[in-house]
Amino acid sequence: MSASAEATRLLPRPMLVTLTVLLCAMVLVPVSYIVLASLNSDVGVASGEFWPSSFSLESYTKIWTTADLSTGIVNSLIVCACTAVASALLGTTTAYVLVRYSFLGRLTILRGLVGLQSIPGTLMLLPVFVLFSSAGNYLGLTVIGTRWGLFVAYLTFALPFSTWVMVTYLRGLPRELEEAARTEGASTLVILWRIVFPLSLPAIVVSGIFAFLLGWNDVLFASVLTRPETHTAAVALQIFGTSQEGGALPVYSQMMAAALICAMPVVLLYLTFQRYLVGGLTAGGVK
Amino acid sequence: MTTLTRPEQKAPAAPRRRRGVTQQQRPLWLLTPGGVLLVLVVLIPLALAVYLSLLDLDQYTLRRWIEAPFIGLGNYVESLDSGLLHSIWISVSFSVLSTAVTVPIGIAAALVTQNAYRGRGLVRAAFLIPYVLPSFVVASVWRTMLQPDGVVNAWLAKAGVDGGLWLSGSKSYWTLVLVEIWAAWPFIYLMALAALQSVDHEVHEASAVDGATWWPKLRRVILPYLRGPVLLACLLATLNHINNFTLPFVLFGAPAPDDVNVMPMLVYVTSFQGLRFGLSAAMAVVSLILIAIPLYVYLRAVRLDVHEEGGRK
Amino acid sequence: MRKMRAATALAGATVLAVALTACGGGDDGGGDGEGKTLNVLIGANTQYPEEFQAWQKDISAKFKAQTGAEVKFETFASANDELTKIQTSVVAGSGPDVYAVGTTFTPTAYSTGAFVKLGDEQWQKIGGKDKFNPATLGISGPDEQNQVGIPWVSRPFVMAYNTDLLKAAGIEKPATTWDELTQQAKQLTKGDQYGLAIAYKDNFDPWKFVWGMAAQAGNPLVDGKTARLQDPTVQKAYETYFGWLAKDKVVDPAAVGWTNPQAVAAFAKGKTGYFMLTTTTAANSLNQGAVKGKWKFALLPTVPPGATSRPANGVEAASILSGDNLLVADYSKNKDLAFEYVKLVTDQDVQLDYYKKFGNLPANAAALQSLASDPTLGPVTEAAKKSVATPFTGAWSDIQLALTNVAVQSLPDLAKGSISTQQIDARVADAQKAAQSALDRAK
Repeated sequence: MSASAEATRLLPRPMLVTLTVLLCAMVLVPVSYIVLASLNSDVGVASGEFWPSSFSLESYTKIWTTADLSTGIVNSLIVCACTAVASALLGTTTAYVLVRYSFLGRLTILRGLVGLQSIPGTLMLLPVFVLFSSAGNYLGLTVIGTRWGLFVAYLTFALPFSTWVMVTYLRGLPRELEEAARTEGASTLVILWRIVFPLSLPAIVVSGIFAFLLGWNDVLFASVLTRPETHTAAVALQIFGTSQEGGALPVYSQMMAAALICAMPVVLLYLTFQRYLVGGLTAGGVK
Repeated sequence: MTTLTRPEQKAPAAPRRRRGVTQQQRPLWLLTPGGVLLVLVVLIPLALAVYLSLLDLDQYTLRRWIEAPFIGLGNYVESLDSGLLHSIWISVSFSVLSTAVTVPIGIAAALVTQNAYRGRGLVRAAFLIPYVLPSFVVASVWRTMLQPDGVVNAWLAKAGVDGGLWLSGSKSYWTLVLVEIWAAWPFIYLMALAALQSVDHEVHEASAVDGATWWPKLRRVILPYLRGPVLLACLLATLNHINNFTLPFVLFGAPAPDDVNVMPMLVYVTSFQGLRFGLSAAMAVVSLILIAIPLYVYLRAVRLDVHEEGGRK
Repeated sequence: MRKMRAATALAGATVLAVALTACGGGDDGGGDGEGKTLNVLIGANTQYPEEFQAWQKDISAKFKAQTGAEVKFETFASANDELTKIQTSVVAGSGPDVYAVGTTFTPTAYSTGAFVKLGDEQWQKIGGKDKFNPATLGISGPDEQNQVGIPWVSRPFVMAYNTDLLKAAGIEKPATTWDELTQQAKQLTKGDQYGLAIAYKDNFDPWKFVWGMAAQAGNPLVDGKTARLQDPTVQKAYETYFGWLAKDKVVDPAAVGWTNPQAVAAFAKGKTGYFMLTTTTAANSLNQGAVKGKWKFALLPTVPPGATSRPANGVEAASILSGDNLLVADYSKNKDLAFEYVKLVTDQDVQLDYYKKFGNLPANAAALQSLASDPTLGPVTEAAKKSVATPFTGAWSDIQLALTNVAVQSLPDLAKGSISTQQIDARVADAQKAAQSALDRAK
């Protein structure tokens, strides 16, 4: 460890180790339960076993036929990736205007954006569906059952959030660079593209992750706005929770296996993007 | 919500001391794409929802909802009489409590992954897992672990404790808080992590040279950087908790025990099981208003949104 | 420079657009006859996924051969999921053409008025009313003239018992009255072995016990526009139902937290005498456990608790009328095709095939008759014929919810091991209020 790395350490080593272990245990104990359950039999899971009485990898092969999981994952990846990119970019531009320029109604917009976050999804479901389907009836525009429809919905729900994340972040950025560029005659878009975006990568990645996960985990809207060929991973996952009235066991072990498989792409994406999470400012060269 | 009035048409504010930027150059048009989306996908449906809340809309009138009888505030009167306030109280207290616990956990997690060490990438990814698992999976997992003859009680029994009922009765409230905390702390963690990156390297070095021990350094130097993002995270997290429907629904089922009959459960059951859409819309609007007021007070108090001239130097 | 950026942005936008549009949508084609698509919403099947896909393919092929049109299946994961879908579709006037709807939900669906009422013409199209098991028509509509539901499959409720345990306890045949059942359960309970497996925390089970016992004692719970929940028969039903755990101690105390799957799992371990309230689709799960080869189905008791014979006004309600009905949406532009589909899937051979694949009993009378000779199915086919419809009112879902809520709110007391008559009375009074107000709103 170099001296400079030492300087950025914030906690004494013993405490750091203890905390890391505790946090990891907190996460990993239930997660290992999920892993073990995915290897267990359904009867075993339902009767509350932690350590399976018999191991089997069968669930990992069965899940692909039980529900159309692969289609779901592909759809989710496409829709959520688009949502993440679009909302991060749109959020940044919106936030940039809100932070760097003052105009009447600015505070109202900012506060209103938070207000929008407090609207319950269950309230919006019916009206959004009515609106989307009437777009089909009156404008001849098919929205229900397309990825576009879902994308637009998620983008909108993610937008207030990404805007706010960017607002808090951009406020901390020095504006000298932008002003220098502006005196050289650069347009707003150039400034955004060449200066603001690179400098705010950590926040962009964070807001992208949230937007991505918002779509990834949504079931409420996805289940009514999609058709079988456009359904998302979360909707497919839901199938594994099916339990028939008075009938069979839910396929618990397949559900756990499928949940782990569905978590995988997100974790991998995160692993590839996390280097942007680190040191946007320090490495970005604000000099 | 009258937030998104076209800003362009507003009277220009007095120009600040900013060289080279005139009124005409303010790129307010950049707000239009977001504005249009929000109006189309949120505000119009919201207006529709408010209109629905004034109708006697149930399964009998659903098909011709436009012709459903207009009953003014009737639904609102009934909603106040149907345990809504109790539900809102549960929702709010549960949310604030969950946020209060997740904040220190999230910040601690961000601090321990600040420095590079072998395997940090994996630890960071592991921290994300609870957040990546869909709510209903999290809820199903905890439900099977917490059933009376489940894993948790088996472990507690070994330690000589009788676990009892986690999913019914008064303890169910704490179960809800516990599971929500488990699932939601990575949100705070990510926000804090991003904020930590905005701390200049020189700041670290300067305080290291000062020979400050970790706690004063953390409190005086580092945490102030986290203040804004974490306060924002608190706010958003609390709102998310309040509106979390899937978790209590899968964890406890409907009808839920009275102790965890949170607002979204009540709204959902009223509208999609009781099929009284008008009433449930009214309930949602009432809770929206009841939440919006403290929200507004909070926003004013923490001054998150106030223009800081020139940014942090 | 500027051009470059514009080009990049354009390229980016194009990629986004292409990715989102690629092979998405593909919506219902218009036009006549050929090239039409019929959308059918049915429940997902996780027990036999491969067979389920094969069945869908098979039906699509048959349907195409008969009509030239495609069938597209959409699946829903849970009853709630389906409810949401029905409601949004009804409001928007677009969505699936045919719905497979659970019997207890049919009254609610009927009350929306969004489904085609079946006149003689429609019944003709699907092969006449006579082709169905008469009992299954009991919940197609409020009366003969106003029917919307076409019976598709039956899932009558029965109980399963562990043959070995019953034999060991010297019990010759499964109980036929509730009191006898309690008695046998006491005999069966010893050590880590329990008499009954009951899912007290289930969101669908509890009301079925209460309704069944009350109906057998002569109280159908709904009398025209009046709810009859505050009634000695209901009180007795709850007392019996809770008593098994609190008073008789013939149920594993952990059952307070069980939903139906956990009760299945408990019974499957082979340490429980009876598993109350199950149906043919559970067979697969039971055969995964230690109980494999050692269990049988039996008819649920039909003599109300506290009696040795059914009172004169009592109904021999062996099970609620359970299963799925098919409903054709009123907004559908393909109604003729929809009825063609309904005809196809209610025909004898298709119904038998469906039973063989998935264990759901046929609603088709001839198909059901051909199964009656199967000894293991005897009790189930009998239950199918002795099923009784729950009251046909739009308020039923609320009443069901209220009845279940009595159980949900009583669980903490039950866990403590005692529940008083006053507590039950107070909760039933609440349920009565909720049920009556739902009935008052019913149109």
